[in-house]
Amino acid sequence: MENRPILRSALALYTALFIGFLYAPFVVLGILSFQSGPEGGPQFPITEWSTYWYEHIFGLTPPSRVAPLPIGETLVRSLTLAFTTMVTSTVLGTMTAQAFRRRFKGSGFVFYLVVLGMIVPGVLVGLGIALVANNLGISRAWWGTAFVAHVVYTFPFAFLVMLAIFNRFDKSVEEAAWSLGVPPMRTFRKVTFPLIFPGVLSSMLFAFTLSYDEFPRTLFAAGADLTLPLAIYGTFAVEIHPNLFAFGVLTTLFSFSLLTVYGILMSISIHRAKKVAIQEEIE
Amino acid sequence: MEEARRRIQGGSGVSAVAGVAAEKKDPRARRITALLVAPGIIWMVLFLVVPMLMMVYVSFWTQKTFTIEPTLTLNSWIAFFSSETYFGALLRTIRIWLIVLAATFFLGYPTALFIGLFIKNKTIQTIVLVLCVVPFWTSFLIRVLAWRPMLGKEGAVNIVLQKIGLISQPIEVLLFTEFSVVIGMTQIYVVFMVGPIAFMLSRIDPSLIEAARDLGASTWRIFRTIIFPLSLPGVVVGAIFVSVMVLGEFATSAALSGRKVNLLGNIIVTQVGSLKWAFAAVVGVMLTAVMAIVVAALLRLADLRKEL
Repeated sequence: MENRPILRSALALYTALFIGFLYAPFVVLGILSFQSGPEGGPQFPITEWSTYWYEHIFGLTPPSRVAPLPIGETLVRSLTLAFTTMVTSTVLGTMTAQAFRRRFKGSGFVFYLVVLGMIVPGVLVGLGIALVANNLGISRAWWGTAFVAHVVYTFPFAFLVMLAIFNRFDKSVEEAAWSLGVPPMRTFRKVTFPLIFPGVLSSMLFAFTLSYDEFPRTLFAAGADLTLPLAIYGTFAVEIHPNLFAFGVLTTLFSFSLLTVYGILMSISIHRAKKVAIQEEIE
Repeated sequence: MEEARRRIQGGSGVSAVAGVAAEKKDPRARRITALLVAPGIIWMVLFLVVPMLMMVYVSFWTQKTFTIEPTLTLNSWIAFFSSETYFGALLRTIRIWLIVLAATFFLGYPTALFIGLFIKNKTIQTIVLVLCVVPFWTSFLIRVLAWRPMLGKEGAVNIVLQKIGLISQPIEVLLFTEFSVVIGMTQIYVVFMVGPIAFMLSRIDPSLIEAARDLGASTWRIFRTIIFPLSLPGVVVGAIFVSVMVLGEFATSAALSGRKVNLLGNIIVTQVGSLKWAFAAVVGVMLTAVMAIVVAALLRLADLRKEL
């Protein structure tokens, strides 16, 4: 198909426009986050460029009619929740995927049961968990009911990532360790884990970002103490101000720094794997 | 999404790779396997299957003003189907889902075609795909909100259109209408359509297309008889992703329609807000049923298992 220059350039132009469509709202959001405050509204034109709304988020501006975003506590909750969700779902995902390396009865059923967790819409999972909790007299909380709902969502991602990793994994390396008399736990730590580390890292990234940003499941399951997305949603109902845009820019930067850390760790682990391979060749 | 496909692919490959006969008979190995899968199964049953069943059960409970009682009744179900508002929400959900599905397909396919078929360099292919996925790494709610200053009466779209002289008055129907909901959802979910299709297209053997061209087939004919059929599994996977997410939506419609467009998801949220749990459960079951029908119908379009 590459020998159709006109079609090719037309599609290239279209793809550029398409990416523009994906990014346009962010550009607008980024520009408007520098609106003057506190009287500047969430729309054009920019009356005066300023960093007022960024200062507003950190409580550095004198009190005005615009209430500060309820970030402090909710951010701590969201980070804690994302971290525990990340650890739990990565452990569950690795264990389940490890089991799938052997053929066992009912593996098809288990596969679909796990994958169901990422397919069922969040609002239904949240509703169901809230109903069960209410009937058992369990009070709903972000660290309890919301946490289990988050893991239902992120565990399938971790499982699928680990499944793909184990699939490409040369079993003979482990078998060699076993036949040399290395105990299973030590084999896992010294041989298996370094090999599956990129997968573990990926599923951790998935789980953390999905949980940190998770909203529909949390809405019914979180109870009285809000997480960050719930707090943001709460500000929707009333008038919006450019502080939300400034906050959007900051969360985006936060996500990118997470991605950067992920990228660095990933390249380190690949680099190390290469070094080991070279060493083996020399020896 | 290419990732997801590859992972699913891994899933079915497992049974072929694993399973040496000797291991199967080893009771110790079987016990270890059981211990490894048990926590995952228990988690999913307790926190996904039981809650869903509970939802079905509660939909038959009696709704008192602020409480529900486990006396079985069909009242909530009758209320759903006899109410113009609620039945209307069902129809509206289906309509918006169809529009968004069509929009993501028609907007996404050309891009997928370019990425999957026209970019031969794998690195550039990955870079363009990542470029599409990057917006995904910002807060979902902020992403939705970003459309407000775009589409509003004094929004960016109106300003640009006025500047280039296409319109003299700002268009007011851009925001807080069904249109803005559709635009918002399309932008958020179109990536899920592009990924799987691009992945399937990149797997097409170039010699197949070359052979067809050598035999004198036109570009359109090649697309119709070779490229599109081979990309169909990607379309189905993308459509399942988009459908499942759009059908369960409520945040986008709440934020971009000024609460004028109520989908089934929005009804669930308002019902729970006023403690009408039984009624919320009815809507939840309806939503599940719609979703199950949609996914089953999509799966009939292509034999995914054969492809994976």
